[in-house]
Amino acid sequence: MKILALETTGKYGSAAVIDDGRVYCAESSGEMNHLKEIIKITGEALEAAGITKKELTHIAASVGPGSFTGIRIGVTVARTMAQMLDLPCVAVSSLESMAENVKTAAMESGCETVAAVINARRHQTYAGAWSIKDGKLINLLDDRQYMIEEFLEQLAGNRVYFVGDGIDAYEEIIQAETGLEAYVMAEGKLRYQTAEAVAKLAAEAASEGNVVGYEELMPDYMRLSEAEQRLKEGTLSDKIKKLNRRG
Amino acid sequence: MKNGKFITLGIETSCDESAASIVADGRELLSNVISSQIDIHTQFGGVVPEIASRKHLENINMVIDKAIKDANCTVDDIDLIGVTYGPGLVGALLIGVAAAKAMAYACDIPLVGVNHMHGHVAANYLEHPELEPPFMGLVVSGGHTNIIFVEEYNTCRKLGGTRDDAAGEAFDKVARVIGLGYPGGPKVDKAAREGDKAAIDFKRVYLEKGSYDFSFSGLKTQALNYLNTEKQAGREINVNDVAASFQEAVVEVIVDKAIAAALEYDQKRIVMAGGVASNSRLRELICERAAEHNIEVLRPSPILCTDNGAMIASAAYYAYKNGERSGFDLDAVPGLEF
Repeated sequence: MKILALETTGKYGSAAVIDDGRVYCAESSGEMNHLKEIIKITGEALEAAGITKKELTHIAASVGPGSFTGIRIGVTVARTMAQMLDLPCVAVSSLESMAENVKTAAMESGCETVAAVINARRHQTYAGAWSIKDGKLINLLDDRQYMIEEFLEQLAGNRVYFVGDGIDAYEEIIQAETGLEAYVMAEGKLRYQTAEAVAKLAAEAASEGNVVGYEELMPDYMRLSEAEQRLKEGTLSDKIKKLNRRG
Repeated sequence: MKNGKFITLGIETSCDESAASIVADGRELLSNVISSQIDIHTQFGGVVPEIASRKHLENINMVIDKAIKDANCTVDDIDLIGVTYGPGLVGALLIGVAAAKAMAYACDIPLVGVNHMHGHVAANYLEHPELEPPFMGLVVSGGHTNIIFVEEYNTCRKLGGTRDDAAGEAFDKVARVIGLGYPGGPKVDKAAREGDKAAIDFKRVYLEKGSYDFSFSGLKTQALNYLNTEKQAGREINVNDVAASFQEAVVEVIVDKAIAAALEYDQKRIVMAGGVASNSRLRELICERAAEHNIEVLRPSPILCTDNGAMIASAAYYAYKNGERSGFDLDAVPGLEF
């Protein structure tokens, strides 16, 4: 198996190739440079792995949650490459791949729980939590939207290793949460998404046959657009509602 | 290459249509696939950028696939990929750009980023096989109102544009307040046919003497004020009269300026483009006035006036022939100038 994995859901974009368990990763030079650099870093990852694009067997993408725009860049490139190269796709959760990436660091710092938290603004998050058992991640709290306070409450009593840009936004709230037994926050690059972890999870998924056709590789935004949300809640502006009634 | 012809795939996602098309030798339409999202956005009273972006992602690969199949081509036949990289909604543009780059990379096909406005002009090359520059271009759409002197295939000089709202935008807003809904252009056009265009004296805004720029925001405000005054006085509003009078005020200014530009630059052809080029009153009046000066008016059929991939393919072809190439670092530029 030779899998190309793309990760563009956070502020740093990256591409990785996993070939027989060895991972080769290339990163974009700046923040939020995803569209400009995605093909360049894809080429760099392939070159580092010493394989050509024709030798690839799968295309994987981190499908979210995260930046809506970022998610779309990675997923669109993955879908189109898979379409053109006639390859199956693998969908990977950005939260789970972040947890995977810090698993060892978490165990080394004495935490038995990993919490991946992405900032969704105004105290909201996209988050999930895993227990580490025998070096494996076991789902503890489902990936979904949480208010940061609600998420922290559910982690009470655990020794938690935090990862994700939710730390940047909610560091003080996490520090003030007294219910946690202990906490550690991922530092530096380890705090953010990387294609290296996406590639590893993709290889596991692909070996278990968890692949989809390119048309079925879909973003996992975890949230409706604001307009759809308002339509659902019935809070679209009156003028538009009136027009809709007229049909 | 197919049957000795140069094959271009054009991709367009700048607003609410996901579109792709195959064009041979820059002129011959082999397929034209447009997946419109209009039904989705209508319930929100206009294009919602986040929803447009989500739908483009879901549609684009199928649209590309269908364009290739409809043309009886394979990916191997494609010599060039052209893609709109601006102007437009950034989230929408980047789906087309990401797909085009991924395809160009995966299949080793050259790539050219196309200015959406140049694409609208190029729609005429598909419609009129004999048309060659120079000519005077009039691009009127939901987001743009421009008078363009097209000197050569790849040299477009913008003589004037809108300083505030585009013509189509003004149509949309007025349509909304008189209860016609979205999309405003076609609905105003239809209502206006039943109305009296002299019923209300809306002002014609020409700006400084000799200027080819437009300003429609004052007219829009005047229309809103008129509606408020009538409502407060308890008078019934004749929607058709408002539509006809408003449309006439927009159309007259556009036509006067386009004719003036053609005369000043000694051009015997005015070439229309963009969604609003389908407006029936605009077509009628410009043909009437142009005939007085022996000027010929050309325009594409309505399907090529709306956003489409074919016009992008044609523009890309001429840019490519001129030596233009885009790298894999091609970015979406929402505010791209003409």
